[in-house]
Amino acid sequence: MSKVPRNFKLLEELEKGEKGLGAESISYGLSSQDDISMTYWNGTILGPPHSTHENRIYSLTIVCGEEYPTKPPEVKFISKINLPCVDEQGNVVPSAFDTLKNWKRTYTMETILLELRKSMASSANKKLVQPPEGRTY
Amino acid sequence: MAALPKRIIKETERLVSDPVPGITATPSEDNLRYFHVTIEGPSASPYAGGLFKLELYLPDDYPMCAPKVRFLTKIYHPNIDKLGRICLDVLKDNWSPALQIRTILLSIQALLAAPNPDDPLANDVAEDWKKDEQAAIKMAQEWTAKYASTSSQ
Repeated sequence: MSKVPRNFKLLEELEKGEKGLGAESISYGLSSQDDISMTYWNGTILGPPHSTHENRIYSLTIVCGEEYPTKPPEVKFISKINLPCVDEQGNVVPSAFDTLKNWKRTYTMETILLELRKSMASSANKKLVQPPEGRTY
Repeated sequence: MAALPKRIIKETERLVSDPVPGITATPSEDNLRYFHVTIEGPSASPYAGGLFKLELYLPDDYPMCAPKVRFLTKIYHPNIDKLGRICLDVLKDNWSPALQIRTILLSIQALLAAPNPDDPLANDVAEDWKKDEQAAIKMAQEWTAKYASTSSQ
């Protein structure tokens, strides 16, 4: 397998996100439709059922730098959330989140959002008390 | 990384030794499937005088599938969207392994000379184009001067 260059990988991800071909419980797209560098993205996660996140929709920002996908993107929650891998400003802390910590260039923004959702639904986290709905950082 | 197929090596050699007028394609040092491309705006088009940067990538399945190509220079054209994605039949359904990087880049150059607002990708641009072609052409010229002029690069 050859290495897909950054921009073409992001174009593939964009297309998948635009067409809604991925998982239904998450979504993502470019923040600005004319960001030719494809750096700034928005993501959403639908709170997993049977957890304190049920029926909530979480918004996030994702920043794919120059070195993406060799380096993982920066991920930040806009919606307030109580989750061990998220700091007080809403940043997903790479050292506390395995997908970013052990990042592989085959991973995608979808991988990150799905893994975050999985973490929200895990037995350790699903009962964590959450801030009132609608709060933002 | 797997060895580069002979076909890609040959195409690359010829692009360098026998370049297409008005077009350059240079493979990236760290990825020989990734090319930095420039295309001069055709003289009898609103893009005349502009030098447009593009990027091109040959996926693993090439030549069974088309190269992936995108404009990096902003351009006002009904078949090219805000992200530089190109709507061109030979990049999609009409791709054939008999085509090459060279022929694809020539097709893109021809697309600059002959915008096709009836098969649009950038819908707002295509609408402007159909509503008032003269104004659209003027806009394309302005964008060329602003974003693609060789003196500004």
